Amino acid sequence: MSTAGSAPSNALEARPARRRRGVVRWRGLIPIVVVLLAIVVGWLTMGEALLRNTIEEGATKFLGTEVDIASLHVRLRDATVELQGVSIADPFDRMRNLVEAQRVTAVLEGRPLLEKKIIVRTLTLAGVNTGTARRTAAAPAPRDGFAASTLRSLDTWAARLRKPIASFTPIDTIRAVVLDPTKLASVQRALEAGARADSLRDALAAGYRALALQTVHDSARAVTTRLSGANPRTLGIDGTRKAVADVRRTLAQVDSAKRRVEALARDARTTTVVLGAELQALDSARREDYAFARSLMKIPTIEGPDLGGALFGDVSIDRFQKIMYWAQMAQKYVPPGLLPREQPGPKRLRMAGSTIAFPKAREYPDFLLRRGDVDLGIGGKSAASGKYVASVTNVTTMPALVREPMRFTLSRRSTAGVVAAIDAAGVLDHVGGRIRDSLGVDASGVTLPSFPLPGLPMRATLGEGTSRIDLLRVGDRVAARWTIHAPGVTWRRTDSIATGGVKNTMQSLALRVIEGVNDLEIVADLTGEIAKPSLAVRSNLDRLLAERMRAVAGEEIAKAEAKARAQVDRIVEEKTAPLRAKADSLRAQGEQLVADARARLDEEKKKLDERLKALLPTGGLIKLPGEE
Amino acid sequence: MLAFLKLLQSLVKELHSDGTPAQVAFGAALGAALGLTPIANVHNVVIFALLLLLNVSFGAGMLAWAVFVPLGFALDPLFHQIGRALLTSRALAPMWTSWFNAPLVPYTNFNNTVVLGSVVGWLVLFAPIFFLAKWLIVRYRATYGERVRQSKLYRAVTASQAYNVYRWFRPE
Repeated sequence: MSTAGSAPSNALEARPARRRRGVVRWRGLIPIVVVLLAIVVGWLTMGEALLRNTIEEGATKFLGTEVDIASLHVRLRDATVELQGVSIADPFDRMRNLVEAQRVTAVLEGRPLLEKKIIVRTLTLAGVNTGTARRTAAAPAPRDGFAASTLRSLDTWAARLRKPIASFTPIDTIRAVVLDPTKLASVQRALEAGARADSLRDALAAGYRALALQTVHDSARAVTTRLSGANPRTLGIDGTRKAVADVRRTLAQVDSAKRRVEALARDARTTTVVLGAELQALDSARREDYAFARSLMKIPTIEGPDLGGALFGDVSIDRFQKIMYWAQMAQKYVPPGLLPREQPGPKRLRMAGSTIAFPKAREYPDFLLRRGDVDLGIGGKSAASGKYVASVTNVTTMPALVREPMRFTLSRRSTAGVVAAIDAAGVLDHVGGRIRDSLGVDASGVTLPSFPLPGLPMRATLGEGTSRIDLLRVGDRVAARWTIHAPGVTWRRTDSIATGGVKNTMQSLALRVIEGVNDLEIVADLTGEIAKPSLAVRSNLDRLLAERMRAVAGEEIAKAEAKARAQVDRIVEEKTAPLRAKADSLRAQGEQLVADARARLDEEKKKLDERLKALLPTGGLIKLPGEE
Repeated sequence: MLAFLKLLQSLVKELHSDGTPAQVAFGAALGAALGLTPIANVHNVVIFALLLLLNVSFGAGMLAWAVFVPLGFALDPLFHQIGRALLTSRALAPMWTSWFNAPLVPYTNFNNTVVLGSVVGWLVLFAPIFFLAKWLIVRYRATYGERVRQSKLYRAVTASQAYNVYRWFRPE
């Protein structure tokens, strides 16, 4: 039997005494050297491929769209990274590349690399192309990533901005609809308000009961009855003192009850105000009901702003949606301020945790491209032909450290005989606590979009023209304008099953008016809070269309609208009359209760004051012995 | 398979006679870091180098790595909380800011909540793991050690040629 720590057996005791050695096992250096050699060999054989994959993965995550790199070369001696065959897919069109570059060369600064920071001294691009077709569809952004969630939220954002499709129904077939009262917003609001009025009435009644006025009345009446005809001579000094104390105590109870009555009066007034607001809300709900009835009756759209939004709203929203996507990405990856920033940690088998960055003033940011210039010409007569000049400065993930806004400019001049020029300039100012971004893009002689006109069997081909986008974002507010001028717009009728072809005379009129326009100007304005902006679209076409339609069918449309309004008014009046009556009755009931309570308490107080006067000689100016 | 066999051999030998209980326990305490903390980090390269270079039980380190991996996964939420509390502490913010803007320190990934929390957790557990391992090895040698030494399996394992490789890293 052996004890812990002692030699366990004879066999162990028989072993020769171990030689005492130092704390370091030098033979351990051999595997370390082997591992280091393996790392060097691994880097030489696979390092660049691994780095290329890492950059592809990081850039794809960063931009939210597939980034491909054909090959990568690193020159450690001069800290230069050269990428070849770089393409960035369009997040809105997976079969197109936003930009392609045959060669991208980045010269990095050495010391910041020791701090895990990438400072690009110069960036050179060669063989740049934009808007090229992809052979294979780009992979969609990861569903749980920021880019995908931004795209989803922007879809919702765009859906809110969409305008109703223009209606070109013939006047003679305007529907005589029977409105379902439960579908009307004002009726629904009236029912809710009615329930609220009931609960307010119950609350008022409970408040009145809580005043316990009967107890105060009984107490006051008992005191006045008991002391009726009493005077100091019959009661004696002690009796008088006691009677005075009783009267004063009862008076205090009456005063307290009066204060409670005044509180109830305030509640009653609040109730009246609440119900008044409910009734006012019914009026605005009624305007929604007019629009609803109008849509059910298929009354043709003849107002210019409505027509502009209906015809060109979608194409404008599409443009703004793309701009807002990049603005949101810029906000996410170029946040203002110097506070520690928490981000999800790297994906691994273990829990990812959070990785926190600790930016420090007057130090390098995690990433900085001090200046990048592109100056190249693409020959031939392709769409991309032209001379490009672009520059970016201070592209960083931590603008508060760089203390300079990020700026970029781009200009393109075509050399292919077609007049095509693009001038763009932008500033992303995230230096202070408040974001201030601005962008201006002016394109002339460019091919403008082609799109179907919602609600009409027609497609607009804007052809070549000018387009200008201006955007200003300050904090969470945005003001943007997209202007296009298409001097050679062409219209093509479509007879697809979806549109159903030309249906009636109103539609035929609209098509004729549209076809008569060959110089189109559209102005779309997006203003307000980024989360819920308002969109206004106007054009020379919708003004013309509205005039013509008003001339042809204005009177009939006005009659139909009056009919719709009358029908809504009848239903709403019928359904809201009980609420109005209830509100009036509640107001009157509250006032009556308060007035009655005040009158009764005043009367009791008067009687008690008279008793007090009778008990106190000289009206209380002389105090009784023992009275405080 | 060869690696597994070597690990088994080293484990068996460590438990019996190679190295003092303190050497075995120190190896186990170091190896626990490999299991408790996310493996692909710079500090684990240092730990691995220490296991090779220091005169401690390498086999015990490998055994502890295997034993502590599931524990590490299970404790990740706790490590995240610890790391987050430390990294978001206002009092420590100047120190972190200074550290993570110094050369090479950012490569430690100690600004990740799980990495920092697990390293702190391992440092806190280092002494308890050391003393517990030491106590267990002494108890084992005093009770079951000799019976296992006489078993056929033990002899078969230690007779393998691969065992020779292991002998390079056994404590001296």
